[in-house]
Amino acid sequence: MAGQGRRIWPVQGDPLRRNPSRAATPRPTEPGWERFMWYFTRISGLLLVLLAMGHMLIMHVLVQLTGQEINFAFVTSRWGSPFWRIYDLLLLVLALIHGVNGARIIVGDYIERGGLRSLLIGLLLAVTLIWLLLGIFVIVTFNPDGAPAIGPFS
Amino acid sequence: MNRRPIVSYGISWSQLAWLGHRLSGVGVLVYLFMHIVENATLAFGPGVYNTTQTYFRNLPVRLGEIVLMAALVYHSLNGLRVIVMDFWPRSTAWYRPLTYGVIIATVLAMIPLGLIMITPYAPWGGH
Repeated sequence: MAGQGRRIWPVQGDPLRRNPSRAATPRPTEPGWERFMWYFTRISGLLLVLLAMGHMLIMHVLVQLTGQEINFAFVTSRWGSPFWRIYDLLLLVLALIHGVNGARIIVGDYIERGGLRSLLIGLLLAVTLIWLLLGIFVIVTFNPDGAPAIGPFS
Repeated sequence: MNRRPIVSYGISWSQLAWLGHRLSGVGVLVYLFMHIVENATLAFGPGVYNTTQTYFRNLPVRLGEIVLMAALVYHSLNGLRVIVMDFWPRSTAWYRPLTYGVIIATVLAMIPLGLIMITPYAPWGGH
């Protein structure tokens, strides 16, 4: 086709070429929100392999191997360094958006009718916003000296 | 007489890999939501946080953590395969070996990881 240049990929008409990984979502051909999220899922996924696997290997394997225990003192020393606070913030934000976007796509795949689909996706986004703010609040405002002495266990 | 299998859905390993990606993704997401709530007890000080943590030091929770680790390892490896095949479409020629490779690598990785994680609750661990 004139003016379009030689398009190696995606090639129209061949499903395997259009959706080479056979993942849930082939790359949207038109620019916009859906294509942005398609790229976001893959780029954040790449980062999350390092961040989430690193987090799990430290918290569930290294802590075990070195005979440590996860408690308030452990978190205090860990979040005493800005590196781990930023690491955990990045992990929280990327994992939550990556995961909720995936859930949104799954809901859209199984519920194609408008009303229920909008309701579920709206609820999902509302809950996510609350949980995201809660998670960020806890990491940012953590202060071992200023923790309130409330509740029956204090 | 034809011998027919009673259960014959004809599901391939490749389809299971796709289903596994969804299930592991949803599982990790559900855990993440609970993890954020559990982590929020930090805001109530050491007393509340340390007491809450003691509820998680038992065998059922540890088994759940091992399942979580397996889900994360599988989702990571299969996700890398999806990225490779999306950005280098010529790798689709190795669709099957790559998919089988992801499943085998997940099982192999989970042998040492599972053993380390179960040790405190295992007979040889002496907890």
